[in-house]
Amino acid sequence: MPEPGETVVEPADTVQPYPPGDLVIWIFILAELLVFGIFFAAYAFTRLSNAELFNQYQLTLDRDAALINTLALLTSSYFVVRGVVAVRAGNSRLCARWTWGAVAMGGVFLVVKTAEYAHHIGAGINLSTNKFYMFYLSLTFFHYMHVILGMVILAAVAVKAGRHGYSRDDYVGVETGASYWHMVDLVWLILFPLVYVMR
Amino acid sequence: MNTPAPGRQLIRPCTWTYLALVLLTGVTWAIGRAGLGGLSVSLLVLAIALFKGQLIGDWFMGLSAVRGIWRWVIVIWLLIFGGLIGLAFVLTYRG
Repeated sequence: MPEPGETVVEPADTVQPYPPGDLVIWIFILAELLVFGIFFAAYAFTRLSNAELFNQYQLTLDRDAALINTLALLTSSYFVVRGVVAVRAGNSRLCARWTWGAVAMGGVFLVVKTAEYAHHIGAGINLSTNKFYMFYLSLTFFHYMHVILGMVILAAVAVKAGRHGYSRDDYVGVETGASYWHMVDLVWLILFPLVYVMR
Repeated sequence: MNTPAPGRQLIRPCTWTYLALVLLTGVTWAIGRAGLGGLSVSLLVLAIALFKGQLIGDWFMGLSAVRGIWRWVIVIWLLIFGGLIGLAFVLTYRG
């Protein structure tokens, strides 16, 4: 039992009524997930009447590049988790290092994905080529833009953390950026098998 | 003394979660690399993806430590849109 007047600090890992981070980012995350979910369903139901075309052109995609990108995003998400743990322990500098690591892994994703786009564009492929490429290019590019936004958010968090801008009592900004980045990762974990593997 | 700092006890489960996600990603990639297809394979790949999504929600997003409706938002999203994707693939093969 705490002594009278003693401050009780709730561990961040106990059951909470709200998810980590600012509640507004969670409203934004739900809106984003709804849009991506509709996009995924549209892909699957369009494929329903174009299965042969989708199966044929799916083979032109680089699954090895998709593997590298999936591992890059998973690793970046893990780094973000470590950053959150560090700042909860009051180590803002360590949080900054982990978060910069996550940004770097996001950079790996962008480099690999850009190389894929360059290959497709070089082969004369665009949104009008066929229905499969219309979905592939628009869906992955929509996600690509989210990766860029996520990297900007994480970089802002890392800069502030590097200047001791967070403490063990004030780290909601880190959790907010982390939640957004995990959403970007989550969406890719569905996109990768749906577009590159399922046939 | 030696009381773990808040959040430190998250490292081990999150590290295991990360390793499980990497392993399951390898399985998905291997299925694709082998050119395997068909309804059962597609549904297996989808189930793996939904499970991975659940791991992200529970451990990386921290929803396993949340009560109420927020605990279930990612589960609901995965079930609704995973269900629609699965239905479309079932209809493709049985339609």
